[in-house]
Amino acid sequence: MQKKNMRRAPLLALFLLWAGTWALSAQAAVSVQVLDSAGQPVPNAVVYAEPAGGGGAIKAARQVEIEQKNKTFIPLVTVVQTGTAILFPNHDNVRHHVYSFSPAKTFELKLYSGVPGSPVVFDKAGTVVLGCNIHDEMVAYVQVVNTPHFGVSERNGVVKLDGIANGRYTLKAWYFTMGPNQAAVEQPLEVQGDGRAVIKLNVKAVPL
Amino acid sequence: MRLYRLESKIVALFIILIVVVQLAGFVAIRTAIDRNARSAISEELIIGERVFTRLLDQNAQKLTQGARLLASDFGFRQAIGTDDRDTIASVLANHGARIGATMGMLVGTDGLIHASTLEYPDTDLQRSSLELVRKAGNGNGAAESAVVGDNLFQIVAVPIKAPVTIAWVVMGFPVDRDLVNDMRALSQLQVSILVRQRGSAGWTADVSTLPKAEAQMMAKEASSPQMGQAGATDLQIDGNQYRARVLPLARASNGQEAVAVLQRSVSEAVAPYQRLQLILLSITVLGVLGAAVASAVMARRITSPLRDLATVAKRLGEGDYSEGLYIRRQDEIGRLGAAFETMRSEIASRELKISRLAYQDQLTGLPNRVQFGDLLREAIGQAQALPGGSCHILMMDLDRFQQVNDVLGHSFGDDLLRQVAARLAAQLLYPGAKVARLGGDEFAILLPGVDLDGALDQAAHILRALEQPLSLQEQTVDLGAGIGVAGYPAHGDSSEVLLSRAEVAMYTAKRKGNGVTIYDPAIDQSSQESLSLLSELRRALERDEFMLYLQPKLDLATGAVVGGEALVRWVHPEKGFIGPDNFIPFAETTGFIRMLTIWMMEKVAGLSARLQAQGLRLKFSVNLSTRDLLDQELPTAFGAILERHRLTPAALCLEITESAIMDDPARAQSTLDRLAAMGFALSIDDFGTGYSSLAYLKRLPVDELKIDKSFVMKMAQDQDDAKIVRSTVDLGHNLGLRVVAEGVESEEVWFLLRQMGCDQGQGYFMGKPMPVERFLEWLQQWRAPEMLDQSENVAI
Repeated sequence: MQKKNMRRAPLLALFLLWAGTWALSAQAAVSVQVLDSAGQPVPNAVVYAEPAGGGGAIKAARQVEIEQKNKTFIPLVTVVQTGTAILFPNHDNVRHHVYSFSPAKTFELKLYSGVPGSPVVFDKAGTVVLGCNIHDEMVAYVQVVNTPHFGVSERNGVVKLDGIANGRYTLKAWYFTMGPNQAAVEQPLEVQGDGRAVIKLNVKAVPL
Repeated sequence: MRLYRLESKIVALFIILIVVVQLAGFVAIRTAIDRNARSAISEELIIGERVFTRLLDQNAQKLTQGARLLASDFGFRQAIGTDDRDTIASVLANHGARIGATMGMLVGTDGLIHASTLEYPDTDLQRSSLELVRKAGNGNGAAESAVVGDNLFQIVAVPIKAPVTIAWVVMGFPVDRDLVNDMRALSQLQVSILVRQRGSAGWTADVSTLPKAEAQMMAKEASSPQMGQAGATDLQIDGNQYRARVLPLARASNGQEAVAVLQRSVSEAVAPYQRLQLILLSITVLGVLGAAVASAVMARRITSPLRDLATVAKRLGEGDYSEGLYIRRQDEIGRLGAAFETMRSEIASRELKISRLAYQDQLTGLPNRVQFGDLLREAIGQAQALPGGSCHILMMDLDRFQQVNDVLGHSFGDDLLRQVAARLAAQLLYPGAKVARLGGDEFAILLPGVDLDGALDQAAHILRALEQPLSLQEQTVDLGAGIGVAGYPAHGDSSEVLLSRAEVAMYTAKRKGNGVTIYDPAIDQSSQESLSLLSELRRALERDEFMLYLQPKLDLATGAVVGGEALVRWVHPEKGFIGPDNFIPFAETTGFIRMLTIWMMEKVAGLSARLQAQGLRLKFSVNLSTRDLLDQELPTAFGAILERHRLTPAALCLEITESAIMDDPARAQSTLDRLAAMGFALSIDDFGTGYSSLAYLKRLPVDELKIDKSFVMKMAQDQDDAKIVRSTVDLGHNLGLRVVAEGVESEEVWFLLRQMGCDQGQGYFMGKPMPVERFLEWLQQWRAPEMLDQSENVAI
């Protein structure tokens, strides 16, 4: 019985792939290369595209996790759409006291261990800097954006924005060394099917 | 001050020496101490600077720690995160007070002051704070010193992290008295903090470990140009010397400045050494005193025996040899003392010997004339001391002693004199009477306190004793004597007068042959005359009344003048011309002849030198008397004269009569030998009239015989005389001598002599004795008689 089910799974995946391809046929994918002032690729940069008309399609909010492991927030940089709930599971055997004084989201998860009961909902766009009150060196950044088109650059400094409809956008990039109060770098983006874009930040890339 | 005493000199030298050495040491030590103290202070200041810097650093670190603690407070961060400014200000005040900050500020990442504990923060402070935040940048905080108002602050800035930097906390702490006091406790340095406002030239004292007044003075002093830059300088505050080091603490861009001045009192640093110097000084003083005492003791040890020696030497000088000086020491002074002592005893014994020689007759051991004179003087003194006191002397001369001496020899004569002395000593009638030998065969007897009758008794007694013949060396000798008597006070009151009067009386007695004669002024006349003659002779010599006469001496064969015999004449200022017979015998008896001989030699030598200079080589003869031959000094005196005139003795001939030689043949021979050895030609004068033995003549170093004129004058008439002359000529030739004839008064005699082979002649025929000038004229005129051819015809 189980064997039968397993044989059926690839079939399901094949279907989904097909369905996806169909759906994507109307939407493009844009690959954005983030470079620093020296022309080097910048990993961990937050890139997002806001539709020129304002107000993007509401994407189903799904829960995101920022775990604490080895007294470090993982990942360092997270980008979420407004209204996303973020869970802070503690995988260390010490407690953490996660807080944020950032205006976009001020909260405090007092000393806890394991997975807290409820996630924190980030319902306001802006930069939220997370810290641990008892581990000063712990830091994490959450960029809350008003668009479903966002991503964090890979090691090669490339962010792939999928499922983006053709149209005019404002492409924005933010890097954590820019400080919480500094506005993201922006530039216009015209999407006509799959494409490429390069955005340059006036920062120095921090290697991973 | 002049130091005449050896002792003072030694002491002074020692003291000067030690003072100089100590002074040099003192100065050197003092300089070294000063230099060391200064360099020690400099070291101290350098270390002090480091300590102070570290102290400030530590303070700043402490403050930073405090501020950091505050910055990490969650509540505080929460307040900042929510921008709750009132809460922020109260937290700053509250937490600042905990760590001693007097002000606190929150500076946003936008570089603005968001909150402050001061209602109106000082602009200086604001600016300093913002500068500091800028300086801290992305770092973990910064600290610095800053001038705020009139005070120095340490301000710190630390970031507030949530967890990224969201703001800065700046806190300020005044640098207060506690800090400088800490520094003072750590290092003994005086610490002052000076502040200078923008545009102001002078410093003001902020806090200081110095008293307020001094701190202000120091601040004023510090305004001088050489201060203000780092490094060590000297400071003079209220009369105290300090060495200081300036440490810049803060210099704001607007020109406000703050410095720390570290200073150390030089006198304080030198103080421990001053005790050392005091000790050194007292050592110096003690050393000088010690040296003074030690050198004084040493000098005393040297000089006191020297003083004793000087005293003894002075006593020796006065003739007192009795007391010696014994210095029992092994050193040089001891040896000097011993040498001195030896010298004293040697001198004493030598003087004893000398006085014996001087006062005693060596032959008989009796007192001599000198001692007799002294004894007589003493006796006269004693007699004078007594009322009616008197004393007498007898003077005695043996008869015929000269003949005895001549015939029996000198040693016999000496023995005889000793016997006579012994006999006289045995015949003394009075205690205290003394016999003395005055010289030759002359004796005297002193009779102290004896009157004339007593003296005559004694004289008679002696004469009687002398009547006994003396037996001596198997010979029996009859002795007679003449005795003269003179006495005090009858005949004189001095020993010289009494002696001469006794002598006069004695000669009278001898002349009369009557034994004893008492002095009578009448018999003194004749002796007075002879005394005056002697003084006249002396005066004549002084006044140059004697004249040199020369009688030519010729070669009989050729008639050439070969020389002359020097003779003397006396031209008396009153009595006129006096012939030699009238004063030569007297001169011989008195010994004056010796002076006359020297005078002659001098004149003849002078003349001879003069003639030699003119090319005339004549050989002059000078006569020597008995007295001259006995004079051992004569050859030396002659030598000196010849040397003065640059003559050789060969230019002169000395004539001696046979009798002169025979008076004392031994001494005469020794004198003649010496003269001959010098190179004088010697001639026997008046040959044929004396008693000389040919055997003796043979031994004499003579070159010439002069035949006495008594034979020559009459030889033309008297055949005997002619024979004597002829045989004498032969005798002379046979002995290898030159023969000279005296008394040639005729041509006839000349020829006879020439025929006999006589070499030279002199006489009235050729020339009488004549003064020098006449002689020189005669030399010019003289022509030998032209009868040489006839000589062959004259029969003998």
